[in-house]
Amino acid sequence: MTMKARHIYIAATLAAVAMLNTSCEKVSPQGVLMAGTAVEDRVEMSYKYYRENNMEQKFDYDLEDFTKDGYSFLVGADSHITTDLGRMNEMFQIGLDNDDLFFCHLGDIADTKPDYYINLQNCLSEAKVKYVEKYYTFDEETHEYYRKGAQIPLPKEYRDIQFPFFPVVGNHDLTHNGWALWSNIFGSSFYEFEVAVGVDDNGKLICDHFIFLDTASGTLGKLQVDLIEQGVLDGKNYYNYRYTFVFSHTNIFLPQHMQFASTFPREEAYFLLKQFDKWEASIVFCGHVHKWDEQVFNGVYFLTLDSMSERNSPEPGDYLVRVNIDKDGILDIEKVHMSYVAPKK
Amino acid sequence: MRKIILTLLLTASVVSVAIAQNSYIPYKTFDGEHKNEISGYAMGGNNVVTDGFGGLAVSYTRHLTPRWHVGGDAQMQFGKELFSVDVQGGYRLPIKWGNISFDGKIMYNFYHKFGFHEMAYNISATWESAYVDIRLGETLVHYHSHVWGIGWGYTETPLLTFGFGVNIRHRDNPWNLGLFFRNYDDFYYENWNINWGIRWYARIKQRWNLFGEFNIRPAGSMSQLASKYEGSVKLGLKYKW
Repeated sequence: MTMKARHIYIAATLAAVAMLNTSCEKVSPQGVLMAGTAVEDRVEMSYKYYRENNMEQKFDYDLEDFTKDGYSFLVGADSHITTDLGRMNEMFQIGLDNDDLFFCHLGDIADTKPDYYINLQNCLSEAKVKYVEKYYTFDEETHEYYRKGAQIPLPKEYRDIQFPFFPVVGNHDLTHNGWALWSNIFGSSFYEFEVAVGVDDNGKLICDHFIFLDTASGTLGKLQVDLIEQGVLDGKNYYNYRYTFVFSHTNIFLPQHMQFASTFPREEAYFLLKQFDKWEASIVFCGHVHKWDEQVFNGVYFLTLDSMSERNSPEPGDYLVRVNIDKDGILDIEKVHMSYVAPKK
Repeated sequence: MRKIILTLLLTASVVSVAIAQNSYIPYKTFDGEHKNEISGYAMGGNNVVTDGFGGLAVSYTRHLTPRWHVGGDAQMQFGKELFSVDVQGGYRLPIKWGNISFDGKIMYNFYHKFGFHEMAYNISATWESAYVDIRLGETLVHYHSHVWGIGWGYTETPLLTFGFGVNIRHRDNPWNLGLFFRNYDDFYYENWNINWGIRWYARIKQRWNLFGEFNIRPAGSMSQLASKYEGSVKLGLKYKW
């Protein structure tokens, strides 16, 4: 190697090292080769939280009375909240106006910075106030809340009312060790719950099944694979499942060529496709690539949602998806328009 | 047990580098004398989905002329229950700064554990110089499940295939050690999950070469959360005549 070539070689190496050690709010270059927040730790914490907080029970019985005439839920993706909460507020308002039963989010909710998570927490708190005003009555004497329309209204304190927002975790939620912030608000990144929709002839409860995977790292990780293989997310054998919906940040199918986004490695993609078949999934929702895509593979519908962030998608557009299931169990999907535009600076 | 096997393979790789003393014929580049190359390697590793795995691979290359070559590869992996076979061919264009080769490859994989058949079609161009090699190409992958029959399948959008390698010594040296970064391996093509690791080669006799790799294959590289997905070691022998 000549002296000149050696100098170029050393300079290129130093530049690469400098680049890997540089970081900004949105980008974590060193994470290209190794991560700061391990999926194994997240899943271990999430599973512990999930069991100890009895998450699957927490939601089911709240909703049993409200689904006999059909119901709908709203899905959004990649809101990347920083200081502008316009699109997130709009998503909640759309859902409340339409009486959607709950909200699902496909991750990358906020870019990792404490200020942005405080903004997200404030946004969720405001949405909860509106939610409680709409769906609960307040008893002045007992200072307790009762769900309107419930056959057997149970008294609740405000803090025990769960705002029905169910997210999966995304990679941008976690860069710069954001798991501490995310888990502080949402607790678990790996969970499932059921929505009861009726009773079959044998007296078995008929449910729709909702499964949320932690795929933020582009892999499920060993523990999550083991838990899935053990059947932790398979649901309960005393329920009769009608539809199963799976939510994952990382997508299976690449919508377009030359997209700078990692999807699952080969074996894991095939593992998941086989697992979706085992779960008899109806729809798998994905985010991550900020690009709308729909595919059908082995009868499973795969929807990849565009980013609802006002920075990634500044123009108004159909960034949300609503799933409607009527009283006869007929499922319909519609794209939902968002009109918020960030004010010009 | 898996840790012991991995440690032994890694130790064998390191020892082999230390005892190597002779010259090396670059991979699939005609040396002007031998028209046939056959190689085989053993591999072992650990994967998040399949746990421990191991296997054997064989490869044959025929240099039809100093410029043109054809060949084929096959492997069987236990643990992943993966069977692979491919045919390939290429043209080498010598230039002042090394060689540029244009290669094509058709590969079939059967992932028995998951019941998936996969076909991959790759074309790529590789610039190989004394110290550095760079590869760019495109790969088209189609897969379907044997459970659901031939009719069910998915063809991915073309994947950019890229590789970068650097050696510590001139490639004509009897032994060498290098680093690589790439989004493929001998029997798979990824999207933006970037493999990286150490490679080496050494000639042990006139017609025999030892080679090996230590390969880290993360998931989520472009998600900036590259996570442990797979680590593997290869140790192989090449014979030419």
